[in-house]
Amino acid sequence: MTTNIPSNANVYTALLKADLTTQWRNRRASILVVLVPTIILLSWKGLVDKFGGAFVLSNCITVGLTAIGLMGYSNSIARDRDKGIFQRLRVAPASNWTIMASRLTVQLLMIIIMTTVLFIVGYKYDNISMSAQGYTIGLLTAIVGGAVYLSLGQVIVGLIKNPETVNATTRLVYFAFIMIGMFGELGVLGKEIGEAVKWSPYGTVKHMVGTGLTPSAWDTHTTMALLVTIGYTIVFTALGIKWFRWSPK
Amino acid sequence: MDSSNHTPHTPVLQVEGLNVYYGAFQAVRNVSFHVNPGEIFGLLGPNGAGKTSTLSAVEGLLKPHSGDIRVVGYSVKDKPLYARANMGVQLQATSFQPELTIAEIIQLYAGIYGVALSKERVQTILADIKLQESSGKRFGELSGGQQQRVSLVIATIHNPQLLLMDEPTTGLDPQSRRQLWERMEGMREKGHGILLTTHSMEEAEAVCDRIAIIDHGQIIAIDTPQALINDHRDNPEVIRASRKGKITLEDVFIGLTGTAIRS
Repeated sequence: MTTNIPSNANVYTALLKADLTTQWRNRRASILVVLVPTIILLSWKGLVDKFGGAFVLSNCITVGLTAIGLMGYSNSIARDRDKGIFQRLRVAPASNWTIMASRLTVQLLMIIIMTTVLFIVGYKYDNISMSAQGYTIGLLTAIVGGAVYLSLGQVIVGLIKNPETVNATTRLVYFAFIMIGMFGELGVLGKEIGEAVKWSPYGTVKHMVGTGLTPSAWDTHTTMALLVTIGYTIVFTALGIKWFRWSPK
Repeated sequence: MDSSNHTPHTPVLQVEGLNVYYGAFQAVRNVSFHVNPGEIFGLLGPNGAGKTSTLSAVEGLLKPHSGDIRVVGYSVKDKPLYARANMGVQLQATSFQPELTIAEIIQLYAGIYGVALSKERVQTILADIKLQESSGKRFGELSGGQQQRVSLVIATIHNPQLLLMDEPTTGLDPQSRRQLWERMEGMREKGHGILLTTHSMEEAEAVCDRIAIIDHGQIIAIDTPQALINDHRDNPEVIRASRKGKITLEDVFIGLTGTAIRS
């Protein structure tokens, strides 16, 4: 008896089509993820001259990345797990990593869309203009930075099963990251907190994206921020995979 | 592509010495049975007996402590994707992505199982189950009977040799239940093997060729419904359980598993 199993590529394509359709039909939530950093970008127009376009843009991008990873990704995973959608997929010949790869591809697309929208809005309304190299490296660093928040979202759904609790927790973490991150960076919360924020996932991503937008300013600190970001991603991913349970029970 | 040692007469499902633990609690104890092609095999048991744990182990949703499970000759442990490619599953509480229409859900699972389906073919499939007018509806918008029909279509989209059904008629009205039985019997005629878990004695007697009664994680009886009745009709516990004098499968079940209510 011979069995042909579908190729991973075909399974991934089928899953991706469904996940993109799902994301499109939930576009209200997706629009909000892009809208919040856009509103911050527009309201911070006055800070561009004081702190620079790269600083303002990188903060807004980091806010968007936090929303995508913490709230978008983890809430959708928790909801689908609770509904038994993963159970149904896992009794089919779809490997676990293919299921997750499709989900992560959708989030990657969201990161690219969000970052591109902010580039456009920043250029048109805040007169923030970067070089082509700056935009490219800025986008790439945004993708690397997004991985931290996706992996942190994975940790949260690994630790917490109840989707309402995941929702509440991610909103809390999101708010804490944004508030402490933004105000800490500005030095409002004191020197020690400012230093801690500098090496937190918020600070390293923000710094990496900010310098990515102005590549000529890339220095040792930025390289360290990149390595720390990758380190965070590896640790959170390992924990998230270890703790994650596919079953809602 | 891979080959197994399976021949047309080999059981489509072989479970040998299955043991499942949840922590220190042993939910399934040394369970062994097989399902032949063209057979509906019922797994009956009270709540918490180990039916769903057994089924979950076969489906690959949980890792057993020990035992061998083979689907069409493929080990569920060593070749899980091949095993899953040869089985169709109708879970007790099936859920699909709420944002997708039933046509899109069918396309998704056809893609996962490697079945190429045109839009016209999807419409034909939906027409066969009298849901062509509902192709644009979401799964949650369908009635219980309609959901079961869609679930069964998706479970059989790749023409699997083995079909697993976990209490498929729970919550269905009598007409929908009869319809589902007819579909199951149709599949049996085509040579599919079906493993069915159920609480309903009526269902077990109506459709199952063989039944295993499972209690406290162990199989305590395994045979055709009539043979089980014949073998246990003189059992005092079974006689005590009987009502109106005639021994039924339910009496055998109650006699063997007891009258205590399980939570």
